[in-house]
Amino acid sequence: MSARYGFVIDLDRCTGCGACMVACAAENNVPPANPRATPRTGLTPILVRKVSNGMEGAAHREAFIPIACMHCGNETPCVRVCPQQAVEVDKETGIVVQMPQRCLGCRYCMTACPYHARYFNWWDPAWPAGMERSLNPGVAVRMRGVVEKCNMCSARLHSAKEKAAAAGRKEIDPADYIPACAEACPTGAILFGNLADKNDPVASASHSSDAFRLLARIGTEPKVYYKSTEDWVKALAERDSPQPTEAQHG
Amino acid sequence: MGNLLVMDRRLIARGAERTSTMRFVLWLVPWVALLALGIYAAGLCLYYGLNQTHMDNRFAFGMWIFLDLGMIAMGAGAFFTGFLVYILKQEDLKPILNSAVVVGLICYSGAMAVLMVDVGQPLRAWFTFWHPNTHSMLTEVTFCISCYLLVLILEYVPVLLQNRQLRKVPSFLVFEHQLHKLVPVLAAVGAFLSFFHQGSLGGLYGVLRGRPFAFRQGFAIWPSTFFLFILSAIAVGPSFLMLVTAAVETFAGRRLVGANVFRKLGFISGVLLGAYVAAKAIDTLVWLNITSRAVGFTPGDFYAYKPFGSALMFLEIVPLGLIPAFLLTLPVTARKRGWLLCGAALACSGVLLNRFVLTVQTLALPTLAFDEFLQYTPSWQEVVTFAGVIAYGVILYSLSYRYLPLFGQTKGADKNVSVG
Amino acid sequence: MFPWVDGFHWSPGHIIFLSVFFTVVLIILTTFAWAIWRTASDFRTHRATETCWRLNFAELPEAERRCRHELAGRLPHRVCNNAFDCRHCSKYAEFAVLPSKTVAGNAGVNFSDNLLYHRGHTWVRPEDNGTLTIGLDDFAHHLIGHPDSVYLPAKGSEIESNGIAWRMTKNGHEIGVRAPIDGTVVSTGGAKDAWYLKIRPRKPADLRHLLRGPEVPGWLAGEVDRLQLQFSGPDAPPCMADGGTLLPDLMDVMPAADWDTVLAATFLEG
Repeated sequence: MSARYGFVIDLDRCTGCGACMVACAAENNVPPANPRATPRTGLTPILVRKVSNGMEGAAHREAFIPIACMHCGNETPCVRVCPQQAVEVDKETGIVVQMPQRCLGCRYCMTACPYHARYFNWWDPAWPAGMERSLNPGVAVRMRGVVEKCNMCSARLHSAKEKAAAAGRKEIDPADYIPACAEACPTGAILFGNLADKNDPVASASHSSDAFRLLARIGTEPKVYYKSTEDWVKALAERDSPQPTEAQHG
Repeated sequence: MGNLLVMDRRLIARGAERTSTMRFVLWLVPWVALLALGIYAAGLCLYYGLNQTHMDNRFAFGMWIFLDLGMIAMGAGAFFTGFLVYILKQEDLKPILNSAVVVGLICYSGAMAVLMVDVGQPLRAWFTFWHPNTHSMLTEVTFCISCYLLVLILEYVPVLLQNRQLRKVPSFLVFEHQLHKLVPVLAAVGAFLSFFHQGSLGGLYGVLRGRPFAFRQGFAIWPSTFFLFILSAIAVGPSFLMLVTAAVETFAGRRLVGANVFRKLGFISGVLLGAYVAAKAIDTLVWLNITSRAVGFTPGDFYAYKPFGSALMFLEIVPLGLIPAFLLTLPVTARKRGWLLCGAALACSGVLLNRFVLTVQTLALPTLAFDEFLQYTPSWQEVVTFAGVIAYGVILYSLSYRYLPLFGQTKGADKNVSVG
Repeated sequence: MFPWVDGFHWSPGHIIFLSVFFTVVLIILTTFAWAIWRTASDFRTHRATETCWRLNFAELPEAERRCRHELAGRLPHRVCNNAFDCRHCSKYAEFAVLPSKTVAGNAGVNFSDNLLYHRGHTWVRPEDNGTLTIGLDDFAHHLIGHPDSVYLPAKGSEIESNGIAWRMTKNGHEIGVRAPIDGTVVSTGGAKDAWYLKIRPRKPADLRHLLRGPEVPGWLAGEVDRLQLQFSGPDAPPCMADGGTLLPDLMDVMPAADWDTVLAATFLEG
């Protein structure tokens, strides 16, 4: 039976600490930022974004939304546009797998991604002397000029499969496969599991009335759900003509 | 030194008036310098990586992509003139055919050169051929443009072999003659390929679900982005040829083609431009009122940000679309060369604006509810690389004009002479 | 792209797309290969020289393509559109019987009634033993004088009508002299001899296309006029304002003239 791995992220619990970002970088051998990097040329497969309800004074509210690849299940935009099939949807797991070694670096997928979840290696990766000992041997390092994104820590899935095979089992033990971000989150805001498994807590969480997906109306069927009891946070799911700030008004 | 002057003279066709060797070298020097600078800037990008540009994760496509699309639209004159002459038998456009081939070659080879710098891993360019994704418009573009560049090179070879000294080699002359007889086949193939890739370049944006500014739903992607791009390309191709020819005539100091050629190119361009404006108006209305409303966007969303106000859309459709269509077709203006060229320039600007809007505005506009509107300015490396491509074009065209019969025979030779 | 390549999945879309692509590539490559094959076959069947001549002829300006019958005064004006190939001209017989007018003023350039002349400034003399002797005419001698070097074809080699029979160099200019008739080279002469080549024609030679009689002075007068025009640039020394005779060794006497243009027109370079 094929799985549909996904996330439910509780935005009421997310404190914006960024532990998920650090864990992801460590797990996936993301190089330290080049000194000339800007917020728009950084490499952050998971990125925590700060949002607010736009009000002033006592009514002002803020929240944090971790954004990573949504692993879109329907007409996956990046998969459809890549000219050389350097990204594909794994039928067994639903994970959208990026293959940096096939990537030409044309960046068409980056324009196609509705969630801006793809990142380009604008520089050659470089680690300060000695830091290369912290590299994760299970994950290939990417070179400059290719696109990368969250792969749902596929290396951990491979390890779980190997462990299961060694023990003579066909199915992995769910406890063996958990992406770095979900593992590192101190408040337990990131819930990971198999959305297709009725018994998995993630599946029931995704059906909750407080659960929503970003830009659901464009129909890409993302597998990352968000949860919040705050209405203003739920409203961020779609663009409902927010007024631009004074400085930008045309 | 004297030998070089003699050699230069011997490369020029007998009876052809060309400027002195000295003046020609002086003309080339600044362009060669610009080309060298362009190669340097491109070299920086290839050596240090694309961090030399100001593109980033949100502006994954920038000035280069916009100008590539612009160049390819301008270069459409090559295939379209070939189509008009060989398939639709518009013989009076024959004098401009060789020049059109050179312009096409410059535009496409220049675009390819910039693309090789624009991608992160140019040496992997062949992967598209090895692992083609038939769902992707970009695969189609890659295949078609590669083939079409090959066609343009093959169409250029007969022109090249008509050089005075190259003609003296009997095998070259006979080969040129045999290849020239097959040019209608190449023209047909070129038209077929161009039809598809001009359209797919538009389709590139139309498939972007996450970019409501560009997205067109389902089947609508064909009449909207695909056909609009083809239509705008064949509308602007003849106009660009008119501008190039007028520029060459100014530099050469004499008329190279008859006024009827300008008039005809202008008329064809104007009619197609008019059709394009009409189709675009319909597309815009459908898109604003139906397609994007379905995903929660209002027109105000797209035009709320300076400088991409609705004035820009108006500019594209009326002053740079409808007005040149009138200038190029109405006899009162089309009769006069000045108005024709004005219309051609406006038309080219309009299509360039269209490509710019679709590349840059698409990416600048916010998509997620908490996105901001973004700015992007190209870096000097990007600008200078592209300037180098322009210099390459000027150099190639200048050399072709000086040493090859670009504008028909200069000695009044008889075209009725039968050859085997 | 192939079933065994990792990660490739065939679909109807792939089949259609790749078939169209390969068909297009095939058409393009076939076009190129076809042109090469036709070129090779043209050379094999000895049609290449004729093709080259006709292509070069098409490049000549009208003033250099005047029909021999106009030069002889038989017609007021006619431009040849058949590459001077009177042997295959439908109008030749009709025009040849018209009365001709004598023309004076060829400025002392000699010609002989016993010789037949080719428009590329060679003469042909049929010999009793069936061979043909070919030499350079007096007009060409006036221009070139004594050539710096002469490259003659080998004995036994073939020359083809309107192809290059032999080459000469003078003052850094290379001159290719066109063959008036095709045949096999029997013996070679040179600048010192009165003739350059003796050839045996392929079949009984049809010499109809060579100028003779009143056509020759008319043609030479036209050639001299052309020379005058080509020499009269702003820097040219004054020459022949009122007739007179052509000086010999013009390439030595007037080294600054535009010899590229003059020689190309004289020897029908195209």
